[in-house]
Amino acid sequence: MTDTKGSGSPNLSRRSLLKAGLATSGAVAAAGALPATARAGGDPLITEIQDWNRYLGAGVDEAPYGMPSEFEAHVVRRNVPWLTADTVASINFTPLHELDGIITPNGICFERHHGGVAEINPADHRLMINGLVDTPLVFTMKDLKRFPRENHVYFLECAANGGMEWRGSQLNGCQFTHGMIHNVMYTGVKLKTLLDEAGVKTNGKWLLPEGADAAHMTRSIPMEKALDDCLVAFKMNGEALRPEQGYPLRLVVPGWEGNMWVKWLRRLEVGDQPWHHREETSKYTDLLETGKARRFTWVMEPKSVITSPSPQAPVGHGKGPMVISGLAWSGNGRITRVDVSLDGGRNWTTARIDGPSLSKSLHRFYLDIDWDGSELLLQSRAMDEHGFYQPTKDELRAARGENSIYHNNGIQTWYVQKDGAVENVEVS
Amino acid sequence: MSKFLKALALGTTLAAFPLMASGAAAGDIDAGQKVFKKCTACHAVGDGAKNKVGPQLNDVFGRAAGGLDGYKYSKAMIKAGEDGIVWDDESLSAYLKKPKEFIKGTKMAFAGLRKDADLDNVIAYLATYSSAAATGEDTSSAPAATAPETVVARAAAVTSLRDGGIYGIGRVALPEEIAAWDIDIRPDGLGLPEGSGTVADGEVLYTDNCAVCHGDFGEAVGRWPVLAGGHDTLTEDRPEKTIGSYWPYLSTVYDYVRRAMPFGNARSLSDDDVYAITAYLLYLNDLVDDEDFELSKANFLEVRLPNEDNFIPDDRLDEVHYAEKGEPCMTDCKPGPVEITMRARILDVTPDSGDDDAAAVGAVD
Repeated sequence: MTDTKGSGSPNLSRRSLLKAGLATSGAVAAAGALPATARAGGDPLITEIQDWNRYLGAGVDEAPYGMPSEFEAHVVRRNVPWLTADTVASINFTPLHELDGIITPNGICFERHHGGVAEINPADHRLMINGLVDTPLVFTMKDLKRFPRENHVYFLECAANGGMEWRGSQLNGCQFTHGMIHNVMYTGVKLKTLLDEAGVKTNGKWLLPEGADAAHMTRSIPMEKALDDCLVAFKMNGEALRPEQGYPLRLVVPGWEGNMWVKWLRRLEVGDQPWHHREETSKYTDLLETGKARRFTWVMEPKSVITSPSPQAPVGHGKGPMVISGLAWSGNGRITRVDVSLDGGRNWTTARIDGPSLSKSLHRFYLDIDWDGSELLLQSRAMDEHGFYQPTKDELRAARGENSIYHNNGIQTWYVQKDGAVENVEVS
Repeated sequence: MSKFLKALALGTTLAAFPLMASGAAAGDIDAGQKVFKKCTACHAVGDGAKNKVGPQLNDVFGRAAGGLDGYKYSKAMIKAGEDGIVWDDESLSAYLKKPKEFIKGTKMAFAGLRKDADLDNVIAYLATYSSAAATGEDTSSAPAATAPETVVARAAAVTSLRDGGIYGIGRVALPEEIAAWDIDIRPDGLGLPEGSGTVADGEVLYTDNCAVCHGDFGEAVGRWPVLAGGHDTLTEDRPEKTIGSYWPYLSTVYDYVRRAMPFGNARSLSDDDVYAITAYLLYLNDLVDDEDFELSKANFLEVRLPNEDNFIPDDRLDEVHYAEKGEPCMTDCKPGPVEITMRARILDVTPDSGDDDAAAVGAVD
């Protein structure tokens, strides 16, 4: 998001501006702006020799596993302390406002644990298949790596993403309103391959995956989905799963709510009925205004959010070229269109989707505008390949009330002010 | 036991056996040639072999089921290939033993080879016409002076090979292993263990193990889950979803307490303990009123939770905004300029923004 072509100015960072004593006044400078004209005598960052121009840097092996630049130290997962009782049964949020493209780096994929992160030596891990199968089986990790494998990019979204916003705008930042999502490439074995190896009996209609962590997480999955596109994955973005993402083995349930993607996967039981366990009765059911509650609401609906500008990523320049950037996704398949509004949903322009357009994966969209410096009410609206598009928050509330917690995919509004600051608002 | 393990047990020159040769090595090629006479009415193999009633069998090892171009397979065989079946000694052995069982819908009329020796031998014979399968002759002529660690490595790598399945990977789960992990309970009572416990016993256990987070009366401490009360609150502004007010099935309570509680010491309660705690949770929810009430496997299904009938299937797609899909409005979609109706800054519960836990609402679990 650094393409500011036509600005005609040296691209200085805020840090270098301050160092050079060039900080100009007002919010524009505070947001990290470009000077309008070159300084007399030239930019000292160019005219003077800098330390890094002269002295030697770190050698190879300084960081056997590399980390981001120290100047990126603020790009981290963050939690909302008031939301849950304890961090071992809690959630944190992906810093979406700092990312671009569609892939989430492994170290900042949001975490949701129900009993903390299980630490498992892969040599000690076992996967069992039992229940209504011809042959109950046990696999080691080595066994699993002998089956044919596949690679797929999928988003994983917690059903509660946006859950704090049902009653209205509450949190200032897309990290907090939309950050219970990540998108990585998984490597693993098709779940169908493993189930076929055990031989599912004809009355085997449901599957119960179970985790090896202290929560022993379980969910009921219909066999049709299990045999369709689920994976048993051991890699993310090319490297082993991170411990907080289920190392050494997790279930991948494309397009469906994240709670079903059981981490530290140790068992798959085949049955003829669902189990109605805690995470599909007490939790992850959607209470409606009538007092009825929907259950087995698995699919994540079409959704989008503008990640920049957004409250944590204010506009860092004055009027002129501005890149509006965001993410869109749907559990139904590919995103075919994203519309962006600058006036709170009165008029819309179709944005440009850039990068890979993959089924059940994040899509990156851009709208490049010439900002006149006036206030904006930014919205984005995703449409998927089945023609479903994102409802407004009012439409959702009219249909469901305010107590559903889960599956809030309503259209988000960001209020961009003249000084570039951005706030989470709701509009008429 | 897999053929390879048989070979291990026989103590032959296994160190030199290429892995793929395991099945072929176990068979007698000459004997296999005789067995193959049963097949020649439909199949050819060897130089210039062509498809007949059945496909020619040169290089059948490593070929996907239904994978020979120019031969018209049954749909079942093509699907088997799509599902990942590749011919090797394991899959051929399973197929030739009971063809219609291994691939339901195969058009091969042959009933199958009953004798294991015939199977081994004919597979060994076919392997001599497949470059993907090493033959017994190859292995026996290989040098015997292989490093001992290679033997160990290979043995370790194949200890999980087994008969059956499509790939033959993994081993059969033992009954005691399944019993150790398969502790799930269903609403119809499937999985409930033998045992029982009373409300009075449950009170003691609950006080010791549960009250620290869930409160003495299930009212909860801090943001830990509330377990009792909340009756008739589901349509209110702040619904309280407890076992008594919300949960549909008692089996879920038993299953969850046994698998995940007490928090930080899972699986430490006995089955009787879990019955007792479950009974006490019924008591806290006014669903039983007798401290002598004993919950057991025998009477478990007699207890029904009040909110069971208020769960409905996913009908989101019937909502107006999804049901009426079509071109969304692009211009003049609202009558006049849009007004801001609510600002996050008013409440401001964003982390690090000051008084960030003031009036916040929301939950994820």
